[in-house]
Amino acid sequence: MTTLPAMDRPWLRPAVPLWVLLPALALLPVMALLPQLIHGGGWDLLGRFAAAAVTPSLDPLVVGSALQGLGITLGVALLGWALSLGLGLALGLASSRTVWWTWGAGPAPAGLIRRLLALPRSIHELLWGLFLLQLVGLQPAVAVVAIALPYGALVARVTADLLDALPTRSLDALRASGAPPGAALLTAIGPPLLPQVLSYGGYRLECALRSATLLGVFGLGGIGTDLRLTLQSLAFHELWTSLWLLLAAMLLLETLVGWLRRRWGMPGRLGLKRASVGRRGREILLTALALLPLLLWTAARLEVRPQDLLQWQGLPGLGQGDWSGVLALPWADLIGTTLVMTLLAAALAVGVAPLLLLLAAPWGWARAALQLIWALGRLWPPPLTALLLLFLLQPGLITGALALGFHNLGILGRLLLEAVESTDPGAEQALRAGGVGPRLALLYGRYSRLARSYLAYGAYRADVILRESVVVGLVGATGLGTQLLESLSGFAWDQIAALLAVYAVLTLLGEDLSDRLRQRLLVV
Amino acid sequence: MTPRARWTAVLAGLSLALLPAVLPPIHPQAAPLLNRAEAQQTMLRISAIPDQNPEKLNRLYGLVADELSQQLGVPVKYVPMTDYTAAVSAFRTGNLDLVWFGGLTGVQARLQKPGAKVIAQRDIDAAFHSVFIANTASGLQPIRDQKGLTALKGKRFTFGSESSTSGRLMPQYFLSQAGVGLKSFAGGAPGFSGSHDATIALVQSGAYQAGVVNEQVWKSSLRDGKVNRSKVIAIWRTPGYPDYHWIAQPDLDKRFGKGFTGRIQAAIVSWRPKDPEQKQILELFGAQQFTQAQASDYQKIEQVGRQIGKIR
Repeated sequence: MTTLPAMDRPWLRPAVPLWVLLPALALLPVMALLPQLIHGGGWDLLGRFAAAAVTPSLDPLVVGSALQGLGITLGVALLGWALSLGLGLALGLASSRTVWWTWGAGPAPAGLIRRLLALPRSIHELLWGLFLLQLVGLQPAVAVVAIALPYGALVARVTADLLDALPTRSLDALRASGAPPGAALLTAIGPPLLPQVLSYGGYRLECALRSATLLGVFGLGGIGTDLRLTLQSLAFHELWTSLWLLLAAMLLLETLVGWLRRRWGMPGRLGLKRASVGRRGREILLTALALLPLLLWTAARLEVRPQDLLQWQGLPGLGQGDWSGVLALPWADLIGTTLVMTLLAAALAVGVAPLLLLLAAPWGWARAALQLIWALGRLWPPPLTALLLLFLLQPGLITGALALGFHNLGILGRLLLEAVESTDPGAEQALRAGGVGPRLALLYGRYSRLARSYLAYGAYRADVILRESVVVGLVGATGLGTQLLESLSGFAWDQIAALLAVYAVLTLLGEDLSDRLRQRLLVV
Repeated sequence: MTPRARWTAVLAGLSLALLPAVLPPIHPQAAPLLNRAEAQQTMLRISAIPDQNPEKLNRLYGLVADELSQQLGVPVKYVPMTDYTAAVSAFRTGNLDLVWFGGLTGVQARLQKPGAKVIAQRDIDAAFHSVFIANTASGLQPIRDQKGLTALKGKRFTFGSESSTSGRLMPQYFLSQAGVGLKSFAGGAPGFSGSHDATIALVQSGAYQAGVVNEQVWKSSLRDGKVNRSKVIAIWRTPGYPDYHWIAQPDLDKRFGKGFTGRIQAAIVSWRPKDPEQKQILELFGAQQFTQAQASDYQKIEQVGRQIGKIR
């Protein structure tokens, strides 16, 4: 018998379905360290928080204020999302190699635009929000633009990637037969591109609601502000009023987007079932048209006026800029902490979602409970989870990672469940009929086919978490995020600029790494 | 797709689309859009750093807005803020006209908005104090002098807001004088609760073993019976330092007429307990009366702020 090369020895490589569970190994160090971190001082508070879930305040004043906040948050999310789609589609076309080829130019401008767009994308919407706040003051438009900038750059990248990945045969044929470039692009590329972009766009609307809530937590208005203030004053009954309302709005939105996605025959987020041509084109067009007056009306209601953005206040003087002070910051420590926290949070989110689903597999009620917990995880902005965790845990890296992990677990768990439900049930049913238990049947029947695309999405998520790590700076000792909040409160512009640059570089590196990982996972 | 699922989705869409329509109007007073810029010119927008629970701030500054409006004869609106830094920024960008700042935030605001005027402080602000508090289960005992602060090493400790003078700046200064650095607390970092009320609640619950609060808020919580004395005790009172003050935009005289800034000052300083409304305001502020103040009163704060790196 000849020896196999090390990589191919079967006993060194876990079976494919087990891959998805590997990241859950991150639970081991967390479990080992947790007993030292728990101080247990706040059990009483946590109990009061949990008890308040069933007795939210029904005081008309509280409900009115929460509804008003929710209205602002929904409006900001809708406007930011619509703006980002418009921006993203235009920029996506501008950064697509195929488009430039069609007009007879080289791919160089496409590459350049793509690289320029990396910058707005690498900076979290919260940082855009805080920056714009300094530049133009407290305007309702700030939150909208803060969402539209990074989201627009992200949509542009996804659009360009999707577009450039489409086969160009029909486009070439049309061009060869003498069709003008614009018409040829529209005819050849439009139909296959639309469903994918729309599906992604719908998903971005769900993200926009989460972002708008988060911006509120940091004082940019809406229901996030109510959440932060009620939690800080430990008014748990009022807190739950806002939370339940927000949960209802989020679930309604997700239901609506999911329904439209299925109705219009668009691919799911994990892209398992590829529907190449969207259905009901006229209906899609009408919906888009109906959206326009809704957007204008929302903008008028929220008093979002673009011209307000042009009244720049001028940033406060940089002073002489204490650059030696900037260099003296403990950079290695800050970056190291941020990266470890990101990896830990990503591993927890990616690994624990399939593990929990597996554990809950035999019982329908457990799966329903899991869905509720995941919904709360998505709903709850990470800084608030972090503040709650501080009732029980010491501040620091693990507390931050748990908060980020919980939020992303909610997002990944839902996508996983959606994907599991849309895979072909045949294999699982066959296994069940053969007497295999429900957990193993789920593992080998469904996870095995999902493993690669799920992990590829997990790699992308890790990248998002790195960007998000700034928002749990509140819990202290979480690296760059904590330092950034500290520098912001001292208005230390030199430090803030340096921190943003480091964040941007890290995110771009992370994006590159996660891209490579994703390609290896998907093309094997 | 089942009909039931379809109806759920349609219902979801409808209710989301109609939600904004049933909401209470967002800015009831700013009616015609065109006049908004004008309205800003003649509306005095007051605000305050959010150092206590929002309900209390809304009550207090609602009263202040009414009183000022009555005395000055212009519409006055209270604009709530969610954090200290945002209050400073909103003052710099001209979104707020008259703000009740803390010592540190006031200095930050004046440095960022040259020409801003210090209007008044409370009688208690010339020599303001912070109080270190501890959970009784922590085993911490009242300490006799500043050196005793070393007992806090290794404890879970929370400040108020990052930019609070009485909840962070001066306490950090006194702690560092006693040799207690920020890294010497449990977990390697202090917490930042956000406000004085939050600090008291967190220490009382045991989430933190100790914390530091503004003395006036501590006293009023004791008076209102919000503090459970068997769970949280005061362990040390700091020496005095200058704190809170009203600061006004430099351009108020131009916008509201000559001498307007002086009229604001005269109005605030004239508040006395014998007037029932003014009495309520003064009680909520925890003061007997306001007195005139100057920028130079806050030199000590600026100096400590620079030392700790909060002012550059």
